[in-house]
Amino acid sequence: MEDSKKSIGKGIDRIDGILKITGKANYATDYPAKNMAYAVLFKSTIAAGEIKKIDTSEAERYPGVLKVITHENAPKLNPEGGLRGGALLQSPQITFHGQHIGMVVAETFEQATAAAHLVKVEYTKKSEKIDFEKLAQTPEMPKGKELADLVRGAGKSALDTAEVKVEETYETPIEHHHPMEPHSTMAIWEGEKLTLYNGSQIINGAQSAAAATLNLKSEQVRIVSPFIGGGFGSKGGQWANLVLAAVAAKMVGRPVKLALTRQQMFNSVGLRQRNIQKLSIGATKEGKLLTLAHEIISHTAVDSEYIEPCGDCTKIMYAVPNSLISYRVVPMNLILPTYTRGPGKSTGSFALESAMDELAYKLNMDPIELRIKNEPEKDPSNGKPWSSRTTVKCLQEGAKAFGWNMRKLGPGTNKVGDDFIGYGVACGTYPARQRESSAIIKLKLKDRKVYATVEIAASDLGTGTHTILAQTAADGLSIPVEQISVKLGDSDLPPAAGSVGSVGASSFANAVNDACTKITHELLAKSGKQFFVRPTAAQLMISENTAEFETRSNSKAPADAEKFSSHSFNANFAEVRVNGITGMVKVTRFLAVTGAGKILNPKTARSQIIGGNVWGIGMALTEESVIDPRYGNFATRSFADYHVPSNLDIGNLDAMFVNEQDIIPNKMGVKGIGEVGIVGVAAAVANAVFNATGKRIRSLPITPDKLL
Amino acid sequence: MKPFKFISATSQEQAVTMLSKNAEAAYLGGGTNLLDLMKEHVALPNELIDIGNLKLKEIKATTGGYSLGALAKNTDTANHPLVRSNLPMLSKSILAGASAQIRNMATNGGNLLQRTRCSYFYDISMPCNKRVPGSGCAALEGFNRMHAIFGWSEHCVAVYPSDMAVALAALNATVKVQNSKAERTIAFRDFHLLPGNHPERDNSLTHGELITAIEIPKNNFSTHSAYVKVRDRNSYAFALISVAAGLHLSGNIIQSAGIAMGGVAHKPWRALKAEEFLKGKVATTANFTEAAEIEMAGAKALSHNKFKIEMGKRTLINALEMALKG
Ligand SMILES: Cc1cc2nc3c(=O)[nH]c(=O)nc-3n(C[C@H](O)[C@H](O)[C@H](O)COP(=O)(O)OP(=O)(O)OC[C@H]3O[C@@H](n4cnc5c(N)ncnc54)[C@H](O)[C@@H]3O)c2cc1C
Ligand code: SF4
Repeated sequence: MEDSKKSIGKGIDRIDGILKITGKANYATDYPAKNMAYAVLFKSTIAAGEIKKIDTSEAERYPGVLKVITHENAPKLNPEGGLRGGALLQSPQITFHGQHIGMVVAETFEQATAAAHLVKVEYTKKSEKIDFEKLAQTPEMPKGKELADLVRGAGKSALDTAEVKVEETYETPIEHHHPMEPHSTMAIWEGEKLTLYNGSQIINGAQSAAAATLNLKSEQVRIVSPFIGGGFGSKGGQWANLVLAAVAAKMVGRPVKLALTRQQMFNSVGLRQRNIQKLSIGATKEGKLLTLAHEIISHTAVDSEYIEPCGDCTKIMYAVPNSLISYRVVPMNLILPTYTRGPGKSTGSFALESAMDELAYKLNMDPIELRIKNEPEKDPSNGKPWSSRTTVKCLQEGAKAFGWNMRKLGPGTNKVGDDFIGYGVACGTYPARQRESSAIIKLKLKDRKVYATVEIAASDLGTGTHTILAQTAADGLSIPVEQISVKLGDSDLPPAAGSVGSVGASSFANAVNDACTKITHELLAKSGKQFFVRPTAAQLMISENTAEFETRSNSKAPADAEKFSSHSFNANFAEVRVNGITGMVKVTRFLAVTGAGKILNPKTARSQIIGGNVWGIGMALTEESVIDPRYGNFATRSFADYHVPSNLDIGNLDAMFVNEQDIIPNKMGVKGIGEVGIVGVAAAVANAVFNATGKRIRSLPITPDKLL
Repeated sequence: MKPFKFISATSQEQAVTMLSKNAEAAYLGGGTNLLDLMKEHVALPNELIDIGNLKLKEIKATTGGYSLGALAKNTDTANHPLVRSNLPMLSKSILAGASAQIRNMATNGGNLLQRTRCSYFYDISMPCNKRVPGSGCAALEGFNRMHAIFGWSEHCVAVYPSDMAVALAALNATVKVQNSKAERTIAFRDFHLLPGNHPERDNSLTHGELITAIEIPKNNFSTHSAYVKVRDRNSYAFALISVAAGLHLSGNIIQSAGIAMGGVAHKPWRALKAEEFLKGKVATTANFTEAAEIEMAGAKALSHNKFKIEMGKRTLINALEMALKG
């Protein structure tokens, strides 16, 4: 097909846009059901210990209350079933502040909420492990094999002989995902079959985890999740709410809705952990890297391990003969950390790309030049060739578009009124992968027009999966987008990968594309004819007057993909204004230039990138969840205290994509953009703040007090 | 949320009578603060008396100055031509607070009575003397970055959050209230209280008293005034430090100054020492700096908010400079 006729590559509007803005797109608890009951969770107010006594009698007597469920009467569940974060009401043990310890089920949400306040709990407290600053002085080795020390060449010891050195420690705080839609579940039992309406980034993952935890077979559980109000990783793995809704529904014999409040989100669905990262770089006077060490201390739950891979960017970004990446961890009485947008890469790149900037200043070298000088020919971590790498292109095209030449080298020399102006740059990367997925295409002929339905248990976080799959099918079948409907977000559909780790677009689109190719072949075979010019699926349906036809196919990454190292890359450019009196920072301009292979829809892709940029700016300037170590509780429990950036904090955002064709990671050449959009952003902003003020802030967020 | 009765008052007298009868009743203004506190189980009224229909919405000039109806919305107050041209510092302070949506709902009376944003106050699993007298102050040795540097006691170190009230303090406003027996007027400096031994009390109203209006005397600050707010993000955040400053100048001599600070104390902090120092002085950076230093000398920081002393000084000087520029 000619490019101009293709739907892929066009920035068409979201096909579900109208449904969303008219309120017709149903999210998890929007589905109507008869005889609904409402469950409200209540939580522990200590961080470590045991429930000595729990008195629910007053709550049970409260008007409208159907049941109060605690560890004393909850059914036995399988805690190893694949849910994250525990808190399944299986025992009186408390391992973190805010652990669910029970729920009230009532006729209305308000009654359940009021009654939950009447439950009286007595605890036996244990001393809690929660003071990260103290605990980080004696960290442990992580259990995960992939987190063992990674040494190349002489490791860190090469630092001793380097002519120029940077050795600094960078800190990033706990952050929360806070999707617009807090986690919520609606559970309906029909006999032994259970339907769970629940925002799920991985539909089949949610299905198997719910089934295993509830001691059911997967076929007994159906997950429905066509629309998700954001997740950012917190709806990748699933949490207790998914099955507790089912438990409540079973116990009261009615459909149950369970929705977390914003305050409950702080200790129910994971978080991005706090990291202390030491970066040591040794280089020649000419700016050639000799050694690069990235030593990370982080925390995890007391009973389960998740550590975000902060060293991942460092592994592959620069050509360096000697390197070390190490992880240490402290178990804490805090909810299990989890995947959070750009896991490890966003926080890790803050450390790495700040340190590179510091090195550039020490060398008196343009930070872009320094990066280009250390561009690796192969993946330094495994010696594999790149399937493609766009770092240099992103830096060069971005520098031109952004007006990097307007940057003044000397920090604190660009002043307008009370404001210092600064420019910063930082790079990022994220792996490109395709995961196994299946899809069904159903074709129907009506009034000489062919209509297609695409079925796949994919998920749409709000990022545009519906739209890009319609575009993929439109091109694969030669049917206008308007004649395609996309069914996703339902475990009854063919199994698929999830919208996690930037595998969604490539896995889903390739599955749909393969199904289109297959159905075209099958229609051709069915016609029994030979054609000079191969007809499209649509033409065959019409010419053969086929009323209905369908096929199903399964797709995997190409066999050769593993022989290469495939990643998306970006370069981020920030311009900041820092008020010299108050220390308040505004990002006046931000440009992200991304090489992410084929861009299926530039409009939804741009939204993804600038969304990532906004969170990255939040990471740089405003977002921080603070724990009070005396109680183990968050002292920042609402949006009045947890500051996401506001419109006034951010001026012009722009996203550019470099032209890149790379069909090694997958046939369609899609690399994924969801994660990479946040990687390198915080460092670009922090570097710009340094350029503006001469103050190097190594501990995020950069709040006004740090710049006084 | 605890169940409550909801009554819409039709007259001022009815509202006052009904509230005075029930110790657990509360007035409902715009609800932007009270409803949040109810959802968090911090405020537990069993009866809400909606005063939204009362005719206390007028903003007008009076013989001595200006009168702002207690039920006029924050947005309408900030945008009123009388306020914009005669009390620009007040207009700016209101617009520096909350978000457009909240200001559209919020009333002037409710704004004055909004409660502290101390996060321990909002979290019922934490000790807090303001919420539960005698339970202790979690912020004193806790996360107190947002907290007070002036006038705090070991029973409470919270700050009062309103921006609007900071300008009102600098403008020497008075608060008009009605109780079941009479009307009375309270000087702004006596309206909000320091925590002392009774942090559960924010202000000097007695139960049942209804704010009817805020009155502002005529002043000579309109050409030289400023409101500067430093916060963690550029909008929709409470002040780390804010300063309202007005200068009455003749030539470059300061006849009088009206200065108040926000984000530093349990009440809008009138910078009386700085005002006193500036009286009769030449309006120069050197004098502004000295005034700021004199004022800030009385500050006492907590473990997480030492920066507020330097930030307070800078913001004071900055606000005075901006006021001078006009
Ligand atoms: C997210 C958020 C951010 C905010 N940011 C800021 C900010 O940056 N700066 C700022 O200044 N404010 C801020 N606010 C607070 C906002 O200004 C107040 O919530 C608002 O002014 C309260 O007015 P209201 O009419 O809604 O009060 P309500 O919530 O209705 O009432 C508050 C209290 O006043 C009592 N009351 C109301 N009217 C009267 C009356 N006439 N007489 C006697 N008692 C009365 C009520 O009983 C209640 O106790 C913010 C609020 C929110 C939710
Ligand atoms: S500072 Fe005041 S409001 Fe905050 S915890 Fe202490 S007593 Fe409560």
